[in-house]
Amino acid sequence: MAQLSAYATQLRIAMQNLAQDPRVIFLGQAVGVPGTAMRTTLEDIDADRLIELPVEEDFQLGMSIGMAIGGFIPVSIFPRWNFVLLAANQLVNHLDKLGEITGLDPAPKVIVRTSIGAEHPLDPGPQHKGDFSDAFVLMCPHMDVVRLDTTEAIVPAYEKALMRPDGRSTLLVEWGDLYAI
Amino acid sequence: MNPWTEQSLVEFESKVAEMFNRGEIKAPVHLSDGNEAQLIEIFNEVRPEDYVFCSWRSHYQCLLKGIPEDEILDSIRSGKSISLNFPAHRFYSSAIVGGVLPQAVGVAAAIKRSRGSEHVWCFLGDMTAETGMAQTCFRYSLNHGLPIEFVVEDNGISVCTNTREVWGDILPAAWESPSLTNVRSYVYKSQYPHAGAGIRVQF
Repeated sequence: MAQLSAYATQLRIAMQNLAQDPRVIFLGQAVGVPGTAMRTTLEDIDADRLIELPVEEDFQLGMSIGMAIGGFIPVSIFPRWNFVLLAANQLVNHLDKLGEITGLDPAPKVIVRTSIGAEHPLDPGPQHKGDFSDAFVLMCPHMDVVRLDTTEAIVPAYEKALMRPDGRSTLLVEWGDLYAI
Repeated sequence: MNPWTEQSLVEFESKVAEMFNRGEIKAPVHLSDGNEAQLIEIFNEVRPEDYVFCSWRSHYQCLLKGIPEDEILDSIRSGKSISLNFPAHRFYSSAIVGGVLPQAVGVAAAIKRSRGSEHVWCFLGDMTAETGMAQTCFRYSLNHGLPIEFVVEDNGISVCTNTREVWGDILPAAWESPSLTNVRSYVYKSQYPHAGAGIRVQF
């Protein structure tokens, strides 16, 4: 097992906690196979709860919404904020408006997980380390956008995202640089 | 057996057109016409427990899914014609091109994962069927054996744009491939414009 920082360890615990709910499934690229830092936080999760998907971000989030309508609570994982931009249609036009459009109260919810790309030890440049949290707070008034700035914030934030009874979806933003030991 | 006939569907949509032209609906409407027989035949296969996903033009599909006429008219009057949703009847739509397609796939994936017996029906226009999202959804759901069928409603036009002219005609549309056994289509022509009912309404 890879050595994890305190930040990544708390993420791993948060994912284990989410998985206690049988409705929770995890979707995205490199959730079922190694390949990203986020994957290291999913190693305790049963393989049948991890749905590996093709890279097609708007499809992934739309499919997550559909699985939420179908009774699951998807944790839809995008390794970097810049990649979430490719799912902005499903995020802004659909997930954020799901309660308003369908009249469902509470609306089916999706937990979206992303990160601000790490700059160390390698700086990936402007297309891989964006932070669009503030913009999406404005664009998604019916969702919570939560930046996980501290290790202590992680477990309670994911617990709230899962347990909240109001049907609001949550987008949680992690710091890639805090995964490092 | 569905109680709706070709004539009663036309009458419903005419009623909506008149309401719109009188300025009683203060929001866009996209009216159906010319596809009554095709939809009645398809909906003979749609069961109450099945899910239906549609675009912004969905009045006929709502009626044929069994949603009460008054409930639909109330939603249309309140300005929701282009995104009619009736979750209790498992009916969803979106006013965004291709918006419901991956959602329909997700519901089908949920049904398969839960070992359910429901089916998903996803209606889309011929221009939407050309989008990358449509190709993704057709392919993924076919390859993963998901309980979903896509119905391409081909009127040859998108808003005022001729679909086949703008795409060109050397390579046929991917959705027309016989390999896509989860996609069916029908051709129709409508008397109504893309939006509205033919009379400019000044609110």
